[in-house]
Amino acid sequence: MSGDWREQAESLFEQADGLAEGESKVRLLEEAVRLADTHKDVGLGYRMRDALIDAATFGGFPDKALVAFAWCRGQQKKDPKRFDPEEMFWKQKWVVGRIKEFPHITRKQIVDALDDVEQCFKATDSGVRAVLKMRYQAAREMGDAAEEVERLWNAWLEARRDHLTDCRVCELDDELDHHADKGEWQQVLRKAKPILDGRKSCAEIPHLTLGTVLYPLFKLGELEQAREIHRRGYAMVTKNREFLSTVGEHMEFLALTDNLSRGLTLLEKHLGWALDHPSYRDRFTFYAAAAFLLERVLAAGDRDVVSLRLPKTFPNHQADGGYDVRALHAWTQGQARDIANRFDTRNGTDRFAKLLARNQVLAGEVRPFPIDAK
Amino acid sequence: MDHRFQVSLRGVIDLLSHHLYSSPGVYVRELLQNATDAIRARQFLEPGHAGTVRLELMEKQDGSPPTLLFTDDGVGLTEDEIHRFLATIGESSKREALEARRNDFIGQFGIGLLSCFMVCDELLVVTRSARGDGRTLEWRGRHDGTYAVRPSEHPLAQPGTQVFLVARPDMAHWFTATRLRNLASHYGGLLPFPIHLTTDQGTERLDTSGAPWRREYDSASERRKALLAYGRELFDTDFVDCIPLRSTAGDVDGVAYVLPASPHFNSRQKHRVYLKHMLLSESAENLLPDWAFFVKCVVNANALRPTASRESFYEDDALAAARESLGQSLRGYLMELAREDPRALQRLIALHGLSVKALALDDDDFYRLIIHWLPFETSMGMMTLADYRRAHPVVRYTSTVDGFRQIAQVASAQGLCIINAAYTHDTSLLEKLPHAVPDVQVEPFSSADLPQSFEELTLDEREATFPLLRMAERVLAPFRCGAVVKKFYPAEVPTLYSSDAEGAFRRDAERAREESDDLYAGVLDSVMAASGSEPAQLCFNLHNPVVRRLAAVADRDMLKLSVEMLYVQALLLGHHPLNAQEMVLLNQGLLGLISAQLGGDGERGGEGSGGAGPRGLH
Repeated sequence: MSGDWREQAESLFEQADGLAEGESKVRLLEEAVRLADTHKDVGLGYRMRDALIDAATFGGFPDKALVAFAWCRGQQKKDPKRFDPEEMFWKQKWVVGRIKEFPHITRKQIVDALDDVEQCFKATDSGVRAVLKMRYQAAREMGDAAEEVERLWNAWLEARRDHLTDCRVCELDDELDHHADKGEWQQVLRKAKPILDGRKSCAEIPHLTLGTVLYPLFKLGELEQAREIHRRGYAMVTKNREFLSTVGEHMEFLALTDNLSRGLTLLEKHLGWALDHPSYRDRFTFYAAAAFLLERVLAAGDRDVVSLRLPKTFPNHQADGGYDVRALHAWTQGQARDIANRFDTRNGTDRFAKLLARNQVLAGEVRPFPIDAK
Repeated sequence: MDHRFQVSLRGVIDLLSHHLYSSPGVYVRELLQNATDAIRARQFLEPGHAGTVRLELMEKQDGSPPTLLFTDDGVGLTEDEIHRFLATIGESSKREALEARRNDFIGQFGIGLLSCFMVCDELLVVTRSARGDGRTLEWRGRHDGTYAVRPSEHPLAQPGTQVFLVARPDMAHWFTATRLRNLASHYGGLLPFPIHLTTDQGTERLDTSGAPWRREYDSASERRKALLAYGRELFDTDFVDCIPLRSTAGDVDGVAYVLPASPHFNSRQKHRVYLKHMLLSESAENLLPDWAFFVKCVVNANALRPTASRESFYEDDALAAARESLGQSLRGYLMELAREDPRALQRLIALHGLSVKALALDDDDFYRLIIHWLPFETSMGMMTLADYRRAHPVVRYTSTVDGFRQIAQVASAQGLCIINAAYTHDTSLLEKLPHAVPDVQVEPFSSADLPQSFEELTLDEREATFPLLRMAERVLAPFRCGAVVKKFYPAEVPTLYSSDAEGAFRRDAERAREESDDLYAGVLDSVMAASGSEPAQLCFNLHNPVVRRLAAVADRDMLKLSVEMLYVQALLLGHHPLNAQEMVLLNQGLLGLISAQLGGDGERGGEGSGGAGPRGLH
């Protein structure tokens, strides 16, 4: 009898292994974890959570990764011989790297979690560069003082690489944000070139990069290339809710180039992800882009109602699929504003308010460029 | 006159052999490619020209390295063209430059020749152009970068090109009859003109007979048989069916073979692709849309761009368009099956359901045609959506395996047919239904919805079960769980625990919190505070004999103990792991029940063991 549930857990694990990143995979592993917990098998629970952290991280459920990791971290503290913290250093990096995306986690908790990572890594005399990158990214995203962000950026890139450092391609992709923040569009493209040419890739690269470079390309007037990158890049992210914010970047690009119908197709297809996405930062990027898109539809001025197939979970769901553009715009704008407020309050800065205000700048930059024309 | 290239040839050769090509054997491919291009160019000038390629292997008696003479009767080169290809070689020290040069005839010619330096130190090219003054020229190049161009002392009678390669001693194994035969057939097997191989055994004509999918066959079944045989030979697999492929974009044609077994999800199929009838790759992956992993293909493309290594296609708009229309070919096949041969379609779905479902999600017309043929697991067994909808006007589904297991038994006893949509794509497919088919109602279903189908109590029953309900509420409140009493089937089930997905996540977080240090306990408190889950609910079933007797128990301690145990049992039956508090309930409860059974304490056990209370049920 006792063999039964173990086999069942293993079979769930194998099924999950055969699936693409996404919700089904996460659900199967959650079930395996619950099975192990039901039978108080700590070893199996640890192993299944180990897999769950990966699936949740790369399938768009960072909250589930966090809960699974917290449990594992507890086991590590109780019995570090049996559950070696070092074997989970990478996962710890993924989980802690994302907790800033939950506005209900306090600044102190974020700092403490980063310190905890640093302590763990220090014990093995490694990971200096990895920690500095996380600190830089936390400071950047929480809108800390520019000098502090700049200091951490320099410290990160000066530190020595080691086995806990992200691969060069991932680091390169993260460097792009810094240049995009400063409006150094040429620099973004120069650095992204090996990735764009397809010479370098990783699990989530170029998927993310192809979204990041859209606005720089647009600013430089490289619209033909931007169009190709949009096509290539959107196809890579359309199936995995982990890429919600990248979908947002594509939607913004479509609005900027006046491809409103295409933009609305993205909105109707991915709104369901945004509605219950655990990463509020990703929700924000999506809603801000959606608000900009709907603003353009309003500005076009030729229709008050659009037909959309929005999910039932949308609070203002209409059975006939007809949506008042003004109301929809107000709703997405409201969502983006609420999230921005929560983040800015937590962070004690105004970065998200500024990010939202960027939509007004974009409105002045619109330049029609049809995607469909050959 | 002798010249020297502007760059170190060693560097270029090193780039080719170590970074670009997977094996020195590609020199045969490169020479065949040059010959093919030259023949095609000559056919353009002289439409009736058939074209032939000859390979002559001269093995030396004295054991010194063999020589290969590679001849084509193509268009040949003029002196000007020779200088242009030399310039190409000079510029080809970078991968990007190579890639760009691949696309013109002369550039390709130079790069192709360069690859020969992987296997020999000296090359002699003798050529006469069909467009020139009738002179025969020769070019002699060495791996150290020196070369000479001069009129040949052995003029060719006809236009064409001869390449002489003297094997480098350490590369002589690339110059055996067997190797040459294999390499030439491998790369040139689809060429529409003959390749002759001469060795000391005599001359043979290699089997090149064009693409088998373009041949005429007596009947459709002959054609199918021949193509399946061809597929078996190529891929060593007995395929289920073959599908013609055609795309104007990229000028692609070929055959897709339906795999006899479901592929592992992330094993993208490796296809065999030819570029202008020359084998480009046996492992091209980017040829078909993502959903089409149920087939393996062999195709020829005339207008797609190869990558610098010539081992796959360059990812550009042309490839994207070709991929789209090859996808249309496959879609057309599936559409036709749906219309003409639904049984075959169902067999295909049983084998490759994932592919079919993935396409249906992306493509509305296909969705409408196919959705009702798809089989689903339900609380009443497997059935197609068509059968389901015939019997049940509202489509109800759960999207997790756990969720399904929690309701399946009760749902089927209650006559509710619920789909287990936990399998890949199933939930999304069902959610799409109302958009694609008018007037269909589709609803997610969870254990929390079950009590709606349960029978309400009569007024007497309400009164009689009130003490049980009050006790249950009090006992379960610390567990964020409410209580109700209803009547449902099957009668053997005493209680049903229900919660939404958020509730399950909250329970996971609670368990993690119990194990966590201060830092993560605090973080998890924040996570739980932010989660918006509804309280769970324990529904007692008054059809159940134990519950009926329980309602009549007057002993409050016994009632409390029983409720606690029913709660824990319901959690375990629903595969909800117990948290620390619940474990305490289980342990104490078991001891309590045992001691109650053992009796001795008459005050406690007597009443609880069955006697009807003052407001008992009969």
